[in-house]
Amino acid sequence: MLSRSIPAEAPRTGALRRFINEYGHEILVALAIAVLLIGVGLYNPRFISSRNLTSIFSGNAYIAIAAIGMTMVIVIREIDLSVGALIGVLATISGTIAVSGAPVWFAWVVPILCGMAINAITGVLVAYARIPSIVVTLGMMAVLQGALITATGGTWISNLPADFLLAKMTFAGLPMPLVWAIVLTILAGLWMRLTRFGRSLYLIGGNAEAARAVGITVPRRIVAVFMIHGAFAGLATLMFATQLQVIQSTTPPNLELIVITAAVIGGVSILGGTGTVFGSSLAAVLFATIGSALIFVNVSAYWLRACIGALILLTVMADMVRRRRAMKGH
Amino acid sequence: MLQRHGHETVLAVLTVAALIVLSFQSDAFLTGSNILNQGRLMAEVALVAFAMTFVIISGGIDLSVGSTMGLCAVMTGVFWQGMGLPLPVVLALVPLLGVACGLFNGFLIIRFGMPPLIATLGTLALYRGLAEGISQARSVRGYPEWFAQIGQGSILGVPTQIWILGAALAAAIAVLELTRWGRTVRAMGSSEQAAQFAGLPVTATKYVVYAVSGLASSLAAIMFVSRVSTTRSDMGTGLELDVITAVVLGGTSIFGGRGTMIGTALGLILVQVLKNGLSLAGVKGDGTLVLIGVVLVLTLLAGSLTERRIRR
Amino acid sequence: MTHPILSVRDISKSFGPIRALKTATFDLFPGEVHALMGENGAGKSTLVKILAGLHAPSGGHILVAGTETTLPSPRAASKAGIAVVHQELLLFNELTVAENVFSGHNPMRGGIVDWSAMRSRARELLADLDCHDLDVDRKVGSLSVAMRQRVEIARALNHDARVLILDEPTAALGERDAERLLDIVLKLRARGVGIIYVSHRMNEIFRIADRMTVLRDGTFVGTRPAAETTEGELIGMMVGRAVDQIFPKVDVPIGPPVLEVEGLTSGPLVKNATFTLRKGEILGIAGLVGSGRTELALTLFGITPAQSGTIRLNGKPLRVNSPRAARDAGFAYVPEDRGHQGLVRPMTIRENISMAVLDRISPMGFISRTREAALARKGFDLLGVRAANVEQQVGQLSGGNQQKVVIAKWLETNPSVLILDEPTRGIDVGAKAEIHRLICELAGRGLAILMISSELPEVLAMSDRVMVIADGRISATFDCVGATPEAVGRAMTSRREATC
Repeated sequence: MLSRSIPAEAPRTGALRRFINEYGHEILVALAIAVLLIGVGLYNPRFISSRNLTSIFSGNAYIAIAAIGMTMVIVIREIDLSVGALIGVLATISGTIAVSGAPVWFAWVVPILCGMAINAITGVLVAYARIPSIVVTLGMMAVLQGALITATGGTWISNLPADFLLAKMTFAGLPMPLVWAIVLTILAGLWMRLTRFGRSLYLIGGNAEAARAVGITVPRRIVAVFMIHGAFAGLATLMFATQLQVIQSTTPPNLELIVITAAVIGGVSILGGTGTVFGSSLAAVLFATIGSALIFVNVSAYWLRACIGALILLTVMADMVRRRRAMKGH
Repeated sequence: MLQRHGHETVLAVLTVAALIVLSFQSDAFLTGSNILNQGRLMAEVALVAFAMTFVIISGGIDLSVGSTMGLCAVMTGVFWQGMGLPLPVVLALVPLLGVACGLFNGFLIIRFGMPPLIATLGTLALYRGLAEGISQARSVRGYPEWFAQIGQGSILGVPTQIWILGAALAAAIAVLELTRWGRTVRAMGSSEQAAQFAGLPVTATKYVVYAVSGLASSLAAIMFVSRVSTTRSDMGTGLELDVITAVVLGGTSIFGGRGTMIGTALGLILVQVLKNGLSLAGVKGDGTLVLIGVVLVLTLLAGSLTERRIRR
Repeated sequence: MTHPILSVRDISKSFGPIRALKTATFDLFPGEVHALMGENGAGKSTLVKILAGLHAPSGGHILVAGTETTLPSPRAASKAGIAVVHQELLLFNELTVAENVFSGHNPMRGGIVDWSAMRSRARELLADLDCHDLDVDRKVGSLSVAMRQRVEIARALNHDARVLILDEPTAALGERDAERLLDIVLKLRARGVGIIYVSHRMNEIFRIADRMTVLRDGTFVGTRPAAETTEGELIGMMVGRAVDQIFPKVDVPIGPPVLEVEGLTSGPLVKNATFTLRKGEILGIAGLVGSGRTELALTLFGITPAQSGTIRLNGKPLRVNSPRAARDAGFAYVPEDRGHQGLVRPMTIRENISMAVLDRISPMGFISRTREAALARKGFDLLGVRAANVEQQVGQLSGGNQQKVVIAKWLETNPSVLILDEPTRGIDVGAKAEIHRLICELAGRGLAILMISSELPEVLAMSDRVMVIADGRISATFDCVGATPEAVGRAMTSRREATC
């Protein structure tokens, strides 16, 4: 017979503490943004004028949207170097449809579907042929870049119909890109927190073997995540391609690195298993803020990339130190 | 033996096939002057690719090579024009800078335990950023004649770069296959713990491998600046991807532990043959990019499938 | 008459040329604790993996509640009511306890994950296991081994398992934690769950098991009810021949002290180690998994250098802060994780044998091919490695032959002290005897040997003295006479605090 003393109440963590544990990194990024806004705003009040803020955030909203899909890919411990080229291709597809006289919503929907289809191929190669995603997406990037130049012959698409220019529209007084970025981030973030599928991404990235052992069909999910990422690339394209009257024939340079950087600085560990889209979107906002801040304090904008590089390194250093400390704990 | 070097054999066959097919598409293709010129054009990528082969076999990766090249190019201009240092001194300092960049990568990876992918992604941004910030996007021109000899001159009718590449290739093969450092690199790439437990100098070798990568990037910068007689901050953009493509195409496993210099050399040659041959045959410049991407994926697919068959 | 909840008939499993299981057969009844026993390499883990849906059997039948079933995936096993707690816990370190317990099957409400229900249900499940001091919001990565195991068991119970398989569950637990685990097992038995308990801890097995099945060499040897068998009979079934016949211990003249360690401290698991090792002596090191034995070896070998204390080899005080320094001093370490720490599997036998002495055979950096070939051949012949030639990849060799390559590698360095960490783990019985003979031979040649092993029979039979480590400290040292299984077992579990 077991002798039992009255069981003590199990220790609990308060709701606030739990929130901080879960979203600590995101809070840091938000604070960094606030500090910048306040600091530079005091130095030059025009920095925090609604006009400047709106232009910063809307102009870069597409990065946040693309980072949503990339966050999901990195959480499952993969990577996608082809997203920049993909967006370039999807932009051209979108513009071509727009000037061809087809209904405008066609020009909006088709790129999303194409993004999903192209990334489905990548996903299958990664999940079933077991080729590391860094190499597959490297090859895919070359294919997409080449296809783009070959197809367009270098010519830009101009004379886009006015009703195509989604990014110039407003919704409830706010610029469309900003609205989209906010809404999509919240929806995606909630999806990753409140659905089984969303939670399974953290399982796959955290311990693929254990994920398999609890019954998750890992390869299928990998393909699904790449396809979702392709859809978000399509959505980002809509915000990217509809800003101006023309669509260039080149892929936006370094976009993939910017998007990956947003995710990493936003707290998505490159080793997978942690991180949220709230973080990556906030990080995208942080970049935009830094970029604008540099101008307002009269530092040459050419130093932006160096700042970002330093930020990545600091963020990852902190992540590594945290992991090492946690491991020594037991 | 054939099983071990199956990949290189396939690659060699592909290259020869491409050479034959493309030579029929254009008379200018298989001429001596064209071949030598192509050698000149691929020199930077090749040099960095030899170094990258060591990095990848050791189990790491270096995405910052293009940015290191850009930074070294910019600093060449700064040392020479900005600081007025004599060019020979500059040519001694720049490689040191390259080594420093590489050692910093090693420091991040070893001291902080950062995955090489993300550490070099960060330095890719940092070094390029420094290049842009320091140069403020202004270019430097007007280098002396003798300097241009490296990039534009020839020795005994063969471009200087090809001599340099030949020497580099020979040295790289020797180190990888015949020395204990090459053996250490290969062991670390397969199983870092086993190499460490056997008393091999794993940490030191890692630093060296990244330092060599940085050095190669700086030498590539010098060659490139000499070839085009200007320095700009955007030099080397995209270099890392060309280099990694060549190395992986050459049969080096991205996971480490496996690979040969000959494979990398063949990968480089195949890519250059395709680029040049197709362009002479009238295919639009970036159509070759598609082909290279497809060839890369197919090669990996074939490699992955045969590996699985062996494992079963 | 109750019917078995699980039946396994003539299961076989081959991995290429290696036949891990030949004919495994047994029944499990609901409300029964059935112990599965056998030495290392007998096939227990393979059978567990097959029942968990991780491997497909090469032949045989599995019946769940009388119906023939295939288990092609872990999901299928789970649906069939089989829950497994593996030796290497499959948990998600970055996620909370609650989420780990419900991994893949989070409770839903209104179409979305119900986090508060998840947390309160996790608390309930843990309370059922008498675990009341675990905060379900903590990240699993920060928990102790015992706590993590309880999370795994809670997860297993979450699926209304009819069969629970526990693979070596107490290997890493202290006495109190092990007790709590056994209580949990008995509780589950009372609920009608059928439990397969894989272990070779005799006292535990006799405490809770109703029946025992023994596997040897992948073959079913027999099933016995607990009440009708003895420890001796079971050991005999596991081992196949009289105990003293396997370990050919030959008495060897023991010389002067070679290694003197005093007050060695390094991290939380090596505290104030003090002992002496003599020439020709085999000092067996016993202790629970995680008690600090391997950590002691790693400190001596320079992987985790000592923070304080002295090491004296042949009278000379040493500072060992890297494996190379250890090697130069005269240490050699054959690690327990052969595949990842002892060998570079894609490389050849020759390249592996020469690995620890590369700097000695490479004048000017270039490896001398002739010297390498010579020493590889020497090691190959001396140890009797069974392979076509020295150019074969070590990854393709059997466990026993791989171990020979590792030992050959270290013999090349001319060591004074050879540290063996679980030298016969994962090696079949035949090769085991060879390795034991080899160890004795090396002792005869004057090597001082430290042998870490979790197999008590091996430790007791091979060692001249036995040193027991518990919680990082040397809790006892026994000579030949005093080293009885009971005394050693008691020393292994002393001074362990319960953690939850």
